[in-house]
Amino acid sequence: MNLNDYQNEFDNLIAQQSFSTVSHPWRKDTFSKFLDSGLPTRKWENWRHTDLSFLNKNNFRISKSDDANDGSIDISNYEIANTFTIIIVNGHYLTINSDLPKELIVSTNSNGKNWTPKNKKDTPFELLNASLSDSTITITTEPNASIQKPIHILFLCTGNDDLMINPQVNIDISHSSSATIIEQYVSNTSSFFQNTSVFASIEKNASLNHVRIHSNSDQTANISGLHVTQSDDSTYNYFQLVDGGALQRSDIYTDLKGKNATCSLSGLALLDKKQHSATYIISDHIMPNCVSSQNFKSVLNGSASGVFNGRTIVREDSQKTDSKQSNKNLLLSDQALMNSNPQLEIYADDVKCAHGSTTGALDNEALFYMQSRGINKKEATSLLIRGFVSELINGIKSEDVKEYLFRKFDNWLLNNNQ
Amino acid sequence: MLEVKNLHVEVEGKQILNGIDLHVKPGEMHAIMGLNGSGKSTLSNAITGRENYNVTKGDIIYKNESIVEMEPNERALAGIFMSFQYPTVIPGVNNTYFLRAAVNAKRKYNKQKEYDAASFLKFVKSKLKEVEMDSKYLKRAVNEGFSGGEKKRNEMLQLLCLEPELAIMDETDSGLDIDALKIISKGINNYKNKDRSFLVITHYQRLLKYIEPDVVHVLIDGKIIKSGGKELALELEEKGYSWLES
Repeated sequence: MNLNDYQNEFDNLIAQQSFSTVSHPWRKDTFSKFLDSGLPTRKWENWRHTDLSFLNKNNFRISKSDDANDGSIDISNYEIANTFTIIIVNGHYLTINSDLPKELIVSTNSNGKNWTPKNKKDTPFELLNASLSDSTITITTEPNASIQKPIHILFLCTGNDDLMINPQVNIDISHSSSATIIEQYVSNTSSFFQNTSVFASIEKNASLNHVRIHSNSDQTANISGLHVTQSDDSTYNYFQLVDGGALQRSDIYTDLKGKNATCSLSGLALLDKKQHSATYIISDHIMPNCVSSQNFKSVLNGSASGVFNGRTIVREDSQKTDSKQSNKNLLLSDQALMNSNPQLEIYADDVKCAHGSTTGALDNEALFYMQSRGINKKEATSLLIRGFVSELINGIKSEDVKEYLFRKFDNWLLNNNQ
Repeated sequence: MLEVKNLHVEVEGKQILNGIDLHVKPGEMHAIMGLNGSGKSTLSNAITGRENYNVTKGDIIYKNESIVEMEPNERALAGIFMSFQYPTVIPGVNNTYFLRAAVNAKRKYNKQKEYDAASFLKFVKSKLKEVEMDSKYLKRAVNEGFSGGEKKRNEMLQLLCLEPELAIMDETDSGLDIDALKIISKGINNYKNKDRSFLVITHYQRLLKYIEPDVVHVLIDGKIIKSGGKELALELEEKGYSWLES
């Protein structure tokens, strides 16, 4: 689809009767910024390794609120035990499976009424998301509340139309409160394009565990921007699993705006065929005494490709920063490709920073060692891959989520170690 | 048990073994001695089937069957075990989990019931005592953060769990302090019986103070140039290898 097609979709969207005219000027302005920049090409430094022809070749229409009216959806494959599950079908809110505790406030808006979306970085996909976004979900915790059960937001794309979905998620973890939020992206359509923006604010002494699972069907593109702002003494733990979709891209921005904050980002990509997954991170240390880590791994089979581009900025005032970056990749085939680029940008002098990256095939020595003990090559390979990924999954706090992710990993392995 | 016949082995296009003949009978212990680069480790790697160790001529017969075409795990299941000179570190793979996978592969091969986690733990704890190993090493990744001695004890533990009929000890004494050496030797001596054979590969005579080989072979330039009783090891200790060369 080209810029004219996007323009048509935009015009159709704001012409909807239910749509609030209040936001029209802002949306028009945002959309014109998008038109000015256009979609990225491989000549753009941050898009050098990502081929967007999938978006250019296919046409998508914006989903409407009645696209969500499907009561017959079976979500049993995506259920995670002991969670509050919020189901968003084709970008529009459908249901919450249980009563929420009163310290947890979830509000949704699925027709663009009385609401203006957010845009933070003016990147093409964010501008597109903000101008086209017609559904939002906002999750707020009360101060001092400790929400034990994870909140599971299930984005499900279904039906026969090639849809374009632009949701926004706002998360506000109030001071001294804690919560676990799982975002999961699944689909059973032949083709769709989801472009999500998530804004999380973690207030003083608050803590958020955030898990994101990208498991879309083959012919899908999933682009997401994640903006996290942390205050004093706050903690943010993020983990992402990518095991589906043709094209997946995460742009993660964490702003450490408070002192003594901890931000730990990790991720695992399990890819095969021609899948592509790219993770771009900017961790910005603005205040002193913060700890940040990036720990990302990929297992690439077939002619899959991946990008890790982690940038940590340590600003002048952020003394006593402790920052680590690690990216490790396992290539299971000769055609698989990984671009790994950890970067440190340090302007303060009393800091502890480290980074490292390795990419390679399975360790033949280890394979032989196991085989020499009677374990066949297939099982030895499974043990090695499991050993490679388990460190990351074991880092997840919720046992139910951990179990679910291991189950997904085992499924992936079943198809990729034959 | 093991018959090596006129074995020629090439590694990455380079001829290392130039016609080895060896006959190890059940219950026998043979020692292979030689300097670095003489081909000692190549012999053990060829017997266990490591990739890129190509047999260009000759044969390896184990229990009356040629094993040259067999996969390493098939050789292991048939009863061949090698204690590695440098045991491999496998990050992320739990030692108990690995050991159970190996023991269960063997039990499956022998048509025995496989161990579940609890019954295996009981089994392995009884073996730990024999090698005087702390159970904390079971919780770590395979050989990760193990000292040289701990790695060799872990090899011995695997041997005791897998109960091979032919055990190849590749430079088991290297990197061991005297206490660990005694423990490993005791393990070997306790394990040996009329049906189990050992092939002990060593540079020095040190290990042979604690275990008694039936036959000692001297390997130089990929060939066995002299074989004899255990007194041959003492002679080597005294005179070095040079009197055998030329």
